[in-house]
Amino acid sequence: MKDGPMKKQSWPKKNVDVCIRCATCMAVCPVSRVTSKFPGPKQAGPGAERFRRMGEPSVDDWIDLCIGCHLCDMVCSSGVNISELNLLAKAKYLDEKGRPFRDWLLTHSYLYGWVGSFLSPFVNFLFRNSMIRWVGEAILKIDRRRKLPDYEPSTFRQWFKKHRSQVHQIKEGDHPPFKKKGKEGFEHHFMERKKVGYFYGCYMNTNEVDVGRATVQVLEVNGFEVILPLQKCCGIPMLGNGNFKGARKMACYNVPSLLKTIVSGSDIIFSSTSCGHMIKHEYSHLLSIPRADEVALHLFDIFEFLRNLKELNGLDTHFKELPLKAAYFAPCHLRALGIGLPALEILRLIPGLTLDNIEADCCGMGGTFGFKKEKYEISEEIGRDLAEVIDRLKPEIILSDCEGCRMQIRHLTGLKVSHPIQILRDALLPETKFTL
Amino acid sequence: MKMITEVLIIGGGATGVGIARDLSWRGIPSILIEKGDFASGASGRNHGLLHSGGRYAVTDPGAARECMAENRILRKIAPHCIEETDGLFVSLPEDGFDYRERFLRACDEVGIQTALLSRDETLELEPELDPNLLSAVKVPDGSIDPFVLILENARDAEEHGAKILLHTEMTSLILDGDKIKEVGAKDLGGGEEYTIKASYIVNATGAWANQFLKLAGLQIGMALSKGSMLITNQRLTHHVINRCRPPSDGDIVVPNHTVSILGTTSVRLEEVENFEVTPHEVSLLIQETSKLVPAIQEARLIRAYAGIRPLFQSETKEDDRAISRGFVLIDHGERDGIKNLITITGGKLVTYRLMAEKTSDLLCKKMGMHTPCSTHLKALPKANRPTGLTEKLKQFSFERVETLCDCELTSRKEVEEFLKTDKLKDLQDILHRTRLAKGSCQGGFCVYRLLGVLHDLRRINGNSNEFLKKFLEERWKGIRPILWGPAVKEEELMEGIYKGIFNL
Ligand SMILES: Cc1cc2nc3c(=O)[nH]c(=O)nc-3n(C[C@H](O)[C@H](O)[C@H](O)COP(=O)(O)OP(=O)(O)OC[C@H]3O[C@@H](n4cnc5c(N)ncnc54)[C@H](O)[C@@H]3O)c2cc1C
Ligand code: SF4
Ligand code: SF4
Repeated sequence: MKDGPMKKQSWPKKNVDVCIRCATCMAVCPVSRVTSKFPGPKQAGPGAERFRRMGEPSVDDWIDLCIGCHLCDMVCSSGVNISELNLLAKAKYLDEKGRPFRDWLLTHSYLYGWVGSFLSPFVNFLFRNSMIRWVGEAILKIDRRRKLPDYEPSTFRQWFKKHRSQVHQIKEGDHPPFKKKGKEGFEHHFMERKKVGYFYGCYMNTNEVDVGRATVQVLEVNGFEVILPLQKCCGIPMLGNGNFKGARKMACYNVPSLLKTIVSGSDIIFSSTSCGHMIKHEYSHLLSIPRADEVALHLFDIFEFLRNLKELNGLDTHFKELPLKAAYFAPCHLRALGIGLPALEILRLIPGLTLDNIEADCCGMGGTFGFKKEKYEISEEIGRDLAEVIDRLKPEIILSDCEGCRMQIRHLTGLKVSHPIQILRDALLPETKFTL
Repeated sequence: MKMITEVLIIGGGATGVGIARDLSWRGIPSILIEKGDFASGASGRNHGLLHSGGRYAVTDPGAARECMAENRILRKIAPHCIEETDGLFVSLPEDGFDYRERFLRACDEVGIQTALLSRDETLELEPELDPNLLSAVKVPDGSIDPFVLILENARDAEEHGAKILLHTEMTSLILDGDKIKEVGAKDLGGGEEYTIKASYIVNATGAWANQFLKLAGLQIGMALSKGSMLITNQRLTHHVINRCRPPSDGDIVVPNHTVSILGTTSVRLEEVENFEVTPHEVSLLIQETSKLVPAIQEARLIRAYAGIRPLFQSETKEDDRAISRGFVLIDHGERDGIKNLITITGGKLVTYRLMAEKTSDLLCKKMGMHTPCSTHLKALPKANRPTGLTEKLKQFSFERVETLCDCELTSRKEVEEFLKTDKLKDLQDILHRTRLAKGSCQGGFCVYRLLGVLHDLRRINGNSNEFLKKFLEERWKGIRPILWGPAVKEEELMEGIYKGIFNL
């Protein structure tokens, strides 16, 4: 696939014509709810599109405020691809205006993330330092009230490598690593275990390794062997910042690699709903990456995958009692996948766990949106609803499938926030033996 | 009420208003009466094409020359009414090159600047065109907003002493020997009757010219031809797109603000009122124009409308081909012995100024005056509303004032300004003066908002349902012919709103 300016053929179809101006979308937009600077989906998308002219400079600088949550697309009475229209307009606007270095930093962490891990104690110290944060705000316009995520001392990849070699050692010594859990034993057929590919995403790799660890552990308990196809950042941070070219570059790397795994007979799962939504929907639809639709067919959210397994009676449900009061928040990108709330369905099988669903629309983080100084307040204002619901529910822990949401909820509430797979793992594994 | 003036102009289309302006600059007092609002005749029901003359270059070089000359003048005196889009005459494979060659030669002779573009160059400019096209000829066509043009002419005329009465119909003529002694007129809103005495009377009633003349027992050889047009929800191209072949049905797509106008047909009519766009015309227009711009097949239409053009049988030749799109200026003193009556009709919107100049020249001659025309030199007072689309979006972005019409970004402020300054007799006229209700939903959402503003300003008293009903009836007329796809959905919603919520 050729890079460079987008040819007309490769643009997604703009279906502005089907908008019947009903304003249903206006009722859900989290951004226009909190700021009058953004005119809302009806106006920003199909409305303004009628005024935009090829070859003329963008004048709608508020377009940059669309957080890309897709909530409008989901409720539109007529199937207008509003958020895509916004994204295209945003890309044009930012192409013309130029992107600050800050945006490059926020969207290319996959390039320097390993340094962060390598020097994590130092970097984390710096990130916490208020002086540094002040400088970050002054120079980079990264809001100083926003805590930058900590880096982990070793990456998920490093852990996985070590883990694999240990698993193999045990196997060679003919000690299957998993206890038999009552059903048909699988430990004798370790080498014939069905393989499943894991798209882990760069944020987890350097900043939340335990999410990846839990994903691998849960899959292994359920009789799968996890493999890691070659992969780069999915590209959603770039896309969210209107950088189609950068996003396409990532996609062009990932698609053939994922296909290779798929062709060899494995499905692929993801634990980050943002990465998943990007690959499943935007690759083919928005970026027109060849064969991305084939990848989409074999790509599953981890809990969607587990739910399928359960339907085939293949899910290990020998959970131990977990007396915990938790609340679950479904990320926008998960809702946009249209698969229901599989994490909620599976976690509700865990005895002792009380799990409330948080009825709020968008957390307001919007990927890198909430880091930006000029958007911090909007981001926080959007999240206020969510914070209020949490305050009412008073959970001990909050669960959400998206790292952006987790970051925002931590920031807003100061509570412990995990990925639901971590809880599932805790309920599934008798001891922390496998948490290497 | 009795009134006396030097020149009485009947008809508030581009021509009549242009005459009022021309005379006012020559210091000649005039009164103009118009039975509807400005531009309620053909002047408000056309493509808004700023002709380069290309469409007539081969068939009617005289008319083409006039168009080109006026095109140049209008760009100077009314730049804010014009979008300098340029036009393309596109040759499709079935058209071949014969006509193109004749066309290029004719343009050359008439003085229309052309540039021949290859297929690739054309598609670069207009990616929505049929990729199989052979070539295109670029000409200085443009797009013109007739409403703004006419309003500005009227404003300028009034500022220089002309008097204009809207919603006032001429109802009778009193002849006295070889002169019209006085004219009877009626205010259609308030019902007041006027008798107007004038030294000269100008019949600028366009397609109604014969209805007027009938009152004086006269008639001219004139046929009526209906032309229908469709409006798309979005602007499909940025140039005016013509088919490079002898003019025929469905061969033009004119961009205009947020929309494109697809035209046109030519259907002979007997009557000047009560005409509609037929389903046959709608399919014909879509079928033909989509050969140029295939996206039209799927594009959403938001309105259909038609205008009537008067066509003239040359008074000497009886050949149908001699029907000219050029204008006719008749001195009824010479033709019929009624010394103070002049008829000016036909022509084009683009040539309105020239028509006004020739009419005023004739009037001056009759008056024995030698004041020359100056309208080609004097720019129209610049309107203060934003013109281009980008400008409009920019204003919306920066000011974030209360918007009444979401589709066309018409602000409450803009509407209120008109309500303050204009002494509108009919509130529907606000729709001619702003782009309110000209977008996707055709006023479905903004008209009741407008009603709210009118109430706030105490401009509406009594039955506001009447206002809504009248508006909806008009709207329905424009929508009925194109009712399918998203338009049906939109209408269901509107029905819900107006029947369910407003209980209409
Ligand atoms: C389908 C179509 C497409 C066209 N496209 C173009 C184009 O793209 N470009 C272009 O330059 N030209 C175009 N034209 C031509 C152009 O619209 C007309 O030539 C021009 O508008 C004529 O203006 P007018 O003032 O002479 O007539 P009109 O605009 O028709 O004005 C006559 C007025 O007289 C009023 N009137 C009639 N009787 C009375 C009465 N008894 N008392 C008071 N008032 C009365 C009417 O209400 C009307 O407002 C088009 C015409 C048609 C029909
Ligand atoms: S994607 Fe989200 S923020 Fe953007 S317009 Fe739609 S609802 Fe609003
Ligand atoms: S919900 Fe869909 S159809 Fe309704 S206004 Fe919004 S974009 Fe248009």
